[in-house]
Amino acid sequence: MVDQALLSLAKFLPEITLAITFCLALLVGVIFRSRPRLSMWVALLGVVVSIALTIREMGITESVFSGMIAVDPFATFFKLIVGSSAIFIFLFSLYSAEVLSTMKRLVEYSSLLVAMTLGMYLMVGATNLLMMVLSIELTGLSSYVLAGYTKEASDSSEASLKYIIYGALSTGLMLYGISILFGLTGGAMDIYAINRALVTSPVNPIALLVASLLIIAGLGYKISAVPFHFWTPDVYEGAPITITAFLSVASKAAGFAMLIRFFKIAFIDSSAVGLPAGIWITLQGFEWNKIIAILSVLTMTLGNLVAVWQNNLKRLLAYSSIAHAGYMLMGLAILSDKGIAAVLIYFVVYMFMNLGAFYVVMLVSNKTGSEDIDSYKGLGFRSPFIGVSMVIFFISLAGLPPTAGFIGKLFIFASLLDAKWIWLAVVGAINSVISLYYYVRVVRNMFLRDPDENSGPLKFSVPEIVLLLLLVVPTLLFGLYYSPIVDFANASARMLGVH
Amino acid sequence: MDLYTIAFYLFAVITLVSASIVVFSKNIIYSAFALLFAFFGVAGLYVLLMADFIAVTQLMIYVGGILVLVLFGVMLTTRVINVDMRTGTIQTLPAVLIVAALAGTLVGVFWTTDWRIMPAFPGFEKTAPRIGELLLTSYLLPFEIASVVLLVALVGAAMIARREKKAS
Repeated sequence: MVDQALLSLAKFLPEITLAITFCLALLVGVIFRSRPRLSMWVALLGVVVSIALTIREMGITESVFSGMIAVDPFATFFKLIVGSSAIFIFLFSLYSAEVLSTMKRLVEYSSLLVAMTLGMYLMVGATNLLMMVLSIELTGLSSYVLAGYTKEASDSSEASLKYIIYGALSTGLMLYGISILFGLTGGAMDIYAINRALVTSPVNPIALLVASLLIIAGLGYKISAVPFHFWTPDVYEGAPITITAFLSVASKAAGFAMLIRFFKIAFIDSSAVGLPAGIWITLQGFEWNKIIAILSVLTMTLGNLVAVWQNNLKRLLAYSSIAHAGYMLMGLAILSDKGIAAVLIYFVVYMFMNLGAFYVVMLVSNKTGSEDIDSYKGLGFRSPFIGVSMVIFFISLAGLPPTAGFIGKLFIFASLLDAKWIWLAVVGAINSVISLYYYVRVVRNMFLRDPDENSGPLKFSVPEIVLLLLLVVPTLLFGLYYSPIVDFANASARMLGVH
Repeated sequence: MDLYTIAFYLFAVITLVSASIVVFSKNIIYSAFALLFAFFGVAGLYVLLMADFIAVTQLMIYVGGILVLVLFGVMLTTRVINVDMRTGTIQTLPAVLIVAALAGTLVGVFWTTDWRIMPAFPGFEKTAPRIGELLLTSYLLPFEIASVVLLVALVGAAMIARREKKAS
């Protein structure tokens, strides 16, 4: 037993690094009290090291700590997404007026960001219900606090409070669902054991449906799927922009990873034989993929329709991120490895374009102090580079060529058509058209409206521009040269225990 | 009805009644004291499940520790006795509908499902050694991660609660 734990530790280095970094960032903050920036650098370094260690784990497929966590290509892929967005967020924070205005709390800010990253690393690999709940809680607790980081601002405290109340409710629902599942399967906590129990002895389908709906409520909250999305606009608007960006990308990625892994392992008929490679089928009498499909239609339609009316850029991006969760859910409804790979491709693309859009919002709000759509009037003339970058991000979010967003959507729709889900593809396409409207509305304000009389050109420092380039270039590049991402995603769609 | 079943219903009623007082009472002191009985009832349920270690932990940590802290917090807060707690209900009809639907479904599920029930252990077995062993073997990782979760909660609570001098 001891040997096994020691062997597991060797496969657990990225997480251990993050746990140590978390404590180290706090200690450094206490020792070097007058230099709070130092602990941010420590945290950044720790995340970089954890990414390097994650890259070393590539290709390993193993279950560690008595089946608590899977280290497999799927988890590694999502760890890279979460880790890289954490790095971007730290870099954003170095230039965020909002974060730097509260220098004293920078230590807690950096260390909690690391803890949140650790929670997400655990979420993407968890294969045991207990571990799933714990990692959701770790991620949740750190994000509740960070959402209320600028506590002097009342909307930030409101965001934090709303987040924690919805979080507590959805975790409660999820735990309830887990307890029903626990009773149905005779006390199975491991998701493979749950699958074995469900396949060998069929259970009351209604009870299974209720249990899975309650679990979807918990995970749907993390990925802000409708109807569990109510917290999203308020939290995204109230939280500091850096945290909003992190929540919209990394938190969503971790939630998706957990949702996909749980449903793909626990709720498929693993005894079925003679299926084509990369296709799976649902358990007898329980077609959960229909639920996911309905959820995805609701999510993207509501997200896009409500986004049309938003005048605050953070709120607009919040609803747009809800809509993107809807597009990605379509990939899971197909029940094929191709669909999963399409979701993975989408996440790489989504990370660059969404972080980019939030970064531009942050830069503009640093200078103008406002996130209102009116403050973007004539931005294209006041700062052409920022304006053009924003246009690129928005075109990509809308899914038009030649940007990476197009590739992301292309693979989702291609796999939908492959699996003959024509109606879902049509709904998705109509939604993309609606989304174009509100993205273009901002673009029109930036380029076709004159700036206010008393506003001069906006100047940005060189590092700020370089950081923006780091996001713009991939958004354009992956629109033209996408085969590496596609290969990587296809290789990463493999999960522990699923062949 | 044997003694065991009577004891179960007794503890269940204690838990439910005092939990509803916690929620519905307008006086925060009453709520805090009712919480005592709710925790106690749950501890009784654990005893009936032969979970001796969990029952003792429930008494020591929740009743003995957390609740005393809550009571001190409530009592040391200035003017707590006659504080006007703003409670109200809005959207009553949709809430009632949703709660009724959810409760109906759950009760229906519990009624109609064949639960897999473990046979009861014939005798009494001490659970603490077994729990301790499992925590350091099969459940080593959750055990360790729980400590990180607690540390995060501590740091976060300190950050939110700390009063800062206005930097001027």
